[in-house]
Amino acid sequence: MTRGDKFLLAGLLLIALLSVAVLYGRLSFFPAKTESVQAVITAQGKLVRKIELVEGVKSSFVIRGLGGPSTVETDGARIRMLEAPCSGQICVKEGWIGHPGQTIVCIPGEILIRIEGTAAVDAVTR
Amino acid sequence: MNRKNALLFVAILLIGGLATLQYLRRSYEYKSNQFLMDTLVTITVHGKDETQLKQAVTEAYTEMHRIADLADGFPQPGTAAYNSSDVCRINQQAGKQPVRVDRDTIEMLLLAKKYNRLSDGAFDVTIGPVMELWGFGGKNPHVPPADKLREALKLVDSGNLEVNETEQTAFLRKTGMKLDLGAMAKGYATEKALQVIKKHGIQKAMIDAGGNIRVLGSNLQGKPWRIGIKDPRKSDGIVAVLPLENSSAVTSGDYYRYFEAGGKRYHHILDPRTGYPATNSMSVTAVTRDAGLADILSTVFFVLSPGNALDLARTMAGVELFLVSADGHIRHTPPLLSRLEVKPGESYRYDQGR
Repeated sequence: MTRGDKFLLAGLLLIALLSVAVLYGRLSFFPAKTESVQAVITAQGKLVRKIELVEGVKSSFVIRGLGGPSTVETDGARIRMLEAPCSGQICVKEGWIGHPGQTIVCIPGEILIRIEGTAAVDAVTR
Repeated sequence: MNRKNALLFVAILLIGGLATLQYLRRSYEYKSNQFLMDTLVTITVHGKDETQLKQAVTEAYTEMHRIADLADGFPQPGTAAYNSSDVCRINQQAGKQPVRVDRDTIEMLLLAKKYNRLSDGAFDVTIGPVMELWGFGGKNPHVPPADKLREALKLVDSGNLEVNETEQTAFLRKTGMKLDLGAMAKGYATEKALQVIKKHGIQKAMIDAGGNIRVLGSNLQGKPWRIGIKDPRKSDGIVAVLPLENSSAVTSGDYYRYFEAGGKRYHHILDPRTGYPATNSMSVTAVTRDAGLADILSTVFFVLSPGNALDLARTMAGVELFLVSADGHIRHTPPLLSRLEVKPGESYRYDQGR
């Protein structure tokens, strides 16, 4: 084996090892992106809005559910159903949510607000 | 081929092989939502074969729909939904004659009777007439007059629910009696759906039926699923994190379906012995393998006093209990101590191991 061969062999082994490390250890090798939290809103199963929940930003908008328009409000990293046309008002009473994995569900309107992001939990029992 | 080329060839083979291996090992996550049983059901499955995952989830939803239809107490008489509901048909024939029902309805009613006895009446599926008076589930819930409530309570008695396994029939002995499977059907359906997923050879799955959680295996990272327990008073908070594998966690709380009258809050989990909402706890989480049982037990433990609930849980193998009592005390069964991460915050008191 010549000197060049040895270098080549060493280089190739390094590439192979790196590839293994990257393929198997993806998560620890490249740290997850900085925490971003977004609210995903679906109505009747269709995605209607994705909104980044950013500190210091407030907004409100209307979502059309089966029972009519519902008003959603965001305030920094939190989101809530402000007004809904249903009689139960379960979604409104739910209040603010802001942790990944949390949901607000409007059954009559078939509206779902779900917080997504680097979740500390996989689901919430409630 | 000279040596250099041979080395290059080996290295390419090595890298290619590893990449292929990784490709074969890769896992899909398939997640799907459906509005079902008056709530949102989310099924998450992990596995290698995407088509198989989708098929399994579709069949799991079909199974849940089937149980939901059997147990639905709300459809109007004369509709197809009414005729396919065992609960409606049993209620209609109350005081008249036994009704032939599905195997799963028999299964649910036998479970209901068993836990009615075990809880000394703290759990009772014949609560229908009382539920109806309060109007939960309808547009206008209200506090019923005391005399009407007393009358309705006389009809609440699981002893008068006859279940005949051999004939596969169910019968409410008194006219006016009414079944309400609201405290157990969702859990039962969740468990049946999970068994469907399991039958497809899937090893990692989670069903979240409006906060009733059933998990199979571990999560995608190969660790136990991390289940937050909702803070009963702060909507965006959790009071504890529970690692869960091959098990179920179901919570009953006073914060979910409620209305306010005269400055008082009335929620929908009624104590069958008094006819009024149970007030011993803010929230109760039952942890056990079977989601159907967890659903029943979350109601049982919610209605009982925290002390009695913890005592009863200790006598049951494979059952754990976490609760926030009405006075803001966090308590749980001892074996949970090593598993739970409790976050009492400033609102609750927590003395470990009590």
